[in-house]
Amino acid sequence: MTLSEGVASAPAGVGARTPSVPRGAAVALDSFSYDDDIVRKFMLATFVWGLVGMLVGLIVALQMVVPALDFAPWFTFGRLRPLHTNAVIFAFAGNAFFTGAYYSTQRLCKTRMFSDVLGRFHFWGWQAIIVAAAITLPLGFTQAKEYAELEWPIDIAIAVVWVVFAVNFFGTLKQRRERHLYVAIWFYIASIITVAILHIFNNLAMPAGWLKSYPIYAGVQDAFMQWWYGHNAVAFFLTTPFLGLMYYFMPKAAERPVYSYKLSILHFWSLVFIYIWAGPHHLHYTALPEWASTLGMVFSVMLWMPSWGGMINGLLTLRGAWNKVAEDPVLKFFVVAVTAYGMATFEGPMLSIKSVNALAHYSDWIIAHVHTGTLGWNGFLTFGMIYWLMPRLFQTRLYSRKLAEWHFWIGSLGILLYVVAIYSAGVTEGLMWRAFDHTGRLAYPDWIETVVKVIPMWWMRAVGGGLYLVGVLMLGWNMLMTWRSRPAVYDVPVIQAPPLTREHREETRAGAPAGAWARFTSLDWHRMWEGRWLLFTVMVIVAVAVASLFEILPTFLIRENVPSISSVKPYTPLELAGRDIYIREGCFYCHSQMIRPFRWETERFGEYSKPGEFVYDHPFLWGSRRIGPDLAREGGKYPDLWHVRHMQDPRSITPRSIMPAYPQLLGNDLDFAGIQHKVDAMAMLGVPYGQAVLQDEAPKMARAQAALIADTIAQQGGPPNLQSKEIVALVAYLQRLGWDATRVAGPAAAPAAGAAGAAAAPKPAGGGAP
Amino acid sequence: MPTNKSDQDRLLEHNYDGIQEYDNPMPRWWVWIFWASILFAVVYGLDPWHVLRGPGRIAEYDAAMAAAARAFPPPAAGGNAATLDALGRNPQAMAAGKQVFVTNCAPCHRPDGGGLIGPNLTDDYWIHGGTVTDVHRTITQGVLDKGMPNWGKVLKPEQIDDVAVYVFFGLHHTNPPNPKAPQGEKVERPE
Repeated sequence: MTLSEGVASAPAGVGARTPSVPRGAAVALDSFSYDDDIVRKFMLATFVWGLVGMLVGLIVALQMVVPALDFAPWFTFGRLRPLHTNAVIFAFAGNAFFTGAYYSTQRLCKTRMFSDVLGRFHFWGWQAIIVAAAITLPLGFTQAKEYAELEWPIDIAIAVVWVVFAVNFFGTLKQRRERHLYVAIWFYIASIITVAILHIFNNLAMPAGWLKSYPIYAGVQDAFMQWWYGHNAVAFFLTTPFLGLMYYFMPKAAERPVYSYKLSILHFWSLVFIYIWAGPHHLHYTALPEWASTLGMVFSVMLWMPSWGGMINGLLTLRGAWNKVAEDPVLKFFVVAVTAYGMATFEGPMLSIKSVNALAHYSDWIIAHVHTGTLGWNGFLTFGMIYWLMPRLFQTRLYSRKLAEWHFWIGSLGILLYVVAIYSAGVTEGLMWRAFDHTGRLAYPDWIETVVKVIPMWWMRAVGGGLYLVGVLMLGWNMLMTWRSRPAVYDVPVIQAPPLTREHREETRAGAPAGAWARFTSLDWHRMWEGRWLLFTVMVIVAVAVASLFEILPTFLIRENVPSISSVKPYTPLELAGRDIYIREGCFYCHSQMIRPFRWETERFGEYSKPGEFVYDHPFLWGSRRIGPDLAREGGKYPDLWHVRHMQDPRSITPRSIMPAYPQLLGNDLDFAGIQHKVDAMAMLGVPYGQAVLQDEAPKMARAQAALIADTIAQQGGPPNLQSKEIVALVAYLQRLGWDATRVAGPAAAPAAGAAGAAAAPKPAGGGAP
Repeated sequence: MPTNKSDQDRLLEHNYDGIQEYDNPMPRWWVWIFWASILFAVVYGLDPWHVLRGPGRIAEYDAAMAAAARAFPPPAAGGNAATLDALGRNPQAMAAGKQVFVTNCAPCHRPDGGGLIGPNLTDDYWIHGGTVTDVHRTITQGVLDKGMPNWGKVLKPEQIDDVAVYVFFGLHHTNPPNPKAPQGEKVERPE
């Protein structure tokens, strides 16, 4: 792994061998050089953010076993979990993608990047966005949509930087000196295009302040859009970019040809087209219409082989190079990465089978599934790539191959401990939740039993994650020491290649077959597409858009998808403010609000959730994980005072609870004046708020309801004078949950009556029905 | 797709930064599983007679609930006064009842029964009836409007018997410190 090797693999003469240039023709060669400075920048950012993101991951893992670590409001699990996910996905994996894409695209297209300035804008813009995320997420600014938590100004910045990246990338394709686009470039195109579409459509929101907004979608539709996005963020941010990287760095490192060009074509197009449909498998047995759930399942099953196409092409490329794998840490990382990809993409279709999903959903099984992919596939592919790039970018020898070997082994052990522990935890949870005893009662009616049971496994997970992090520190040391032995001035080799001629006729293969089917399977047409970047890009857009619209349009247009329930009314202004506190604190990361139609769920939590219950939920808060119990029917289950004491110190109610304490909610003043903006934004989205939107009416209504709740709390023996504190809003919200659809028959007016009709909803004494 | 030897590992004329590609066919098993998954998707997705997909999630749920209702009739609320009286003199039942109480009831009624979120259970005042069968019924059915859960779904019948007699006989007049103020109506009982 020396510099000369890296440069020698792209001799200037290669271009003359491509069929696009007639042999022997006299062509003036262009001289140019590659921009590796930008690659070095992205590589350093990859390491730094990887370290930060994984450290936060370790912290949240430890917070689950030592709740005392939730020691400050900005340092609770609910605020740090999105920091972990955003940092490792968008900062670590994102920068890793940019590192590899900037390095390989220039070489695969035989041109410098389109614009050095746009490249720098992309780099610094992306890092600024990450810093903004690292500040706003712990402060509780969130849209409450997983992996799309960042608030609207940051979302706009992301869109701008992404477009700049796209312009720089497609500009590079346009000025390329290589006639055909290599498969790595196809995957980059699909990633850049689809991420832009996903990001824009999932983040459409109505601002209610500088760092507060409500999505334009509600309930079932919002859930659908979120998991169309969420699933495809996995697909087009963590899968296709890394397949592109694999297709460049794997054959480079192994010095072997790619196994099958045909397989590349078929698995690329099938992956891009099929992935988009699979999102609803995140919502099996929820209030999502069953047809969408079924579509999500069958497309996930069909996704198995397209995914494995990438694995096969990766692993079979190593044929004849396995002796190298034994010696080279780079290839070791790649082999584990591709194997992890294969395992995760077998498991994904399996988890999408409804009956398997019934067991796994809400449990740690999903966390295990994700981490097989992220720690194994994304992490190890990135590490292998960085070890391969370091000597080439720093133009020196790698400081220590032995340390890289150690990184590989300690990282692998970390992955193993992590996933074994958390798979066991997931299956244990799933089985305990559904277990009945011989009398027909839940075998573990007390939720905390199912939590305490898996705590040893959570400890083991933290150990595994810790080992993985130690490996990353080894990478950092290796990087630092390699960088220190760089030359005083980097050598910038001048590359020469002929420009593309304007006229070009695609050569068909010898003995071109006759007949439509034969012509189709000969794939000559695809060779033509590969020569036209714009056509190729348009085809990708068509594949993604058609697949999306087939699911999105019916979800929004068919009325029967969400049968309306007349008793469901908007939240009162105070409840809305309480809901925003629930969102701010990230309660939905641990508490679902979606009871599935299973006997074991309805016995535990109450009547299953109906689609019509969520029509005013901007955003939906169904959640994806149950670390604590479901709260869809929490309203009226306990007296107001129970909630006050529980928020103040959860362990005073449930001694072994792992929930963070929120004593500050009893001290923080509620921003009553700000409630008007919330109500106004909701009204703009079509929520019928009636009188509440009149000037200053919402805060007045909120104060009236707050006074009633504070009275009730005091009557029940709780602390007096809480009417101006945040806790009353949160109690108001929690006591409203699940009322409208199932308990309308209660005496007098249901709490909901106040919302649309505008009178502040009276809070019942005793916390239940009024 | 033929996979005879002569087709294996024929290099294409592609060369990208030194990366070459073979013209290998797709592995046969890969092609067949892909076709099979597509066939499964079509059959499962259409499935006009609901052979694979079943009657739908709500119909399945209703059936499961009906089957459970037949197999497990709802627990008797109130219990038998004579049996409960007898249990009240049984120290084993009392100890078991205390255990159930500490685990499930103490968060709201305090470990000593003096009342916290829920009412004081040691005085002479009762909100939902002051006989041992009333207490048994309140525990079994709960008072959902006031935040008392229906423990009949959670505790086994013998556990409910035990905790009912513990509350009624065991906690009575234990005079814990700092009790919650009396709520409900005074019910005298013959000592």
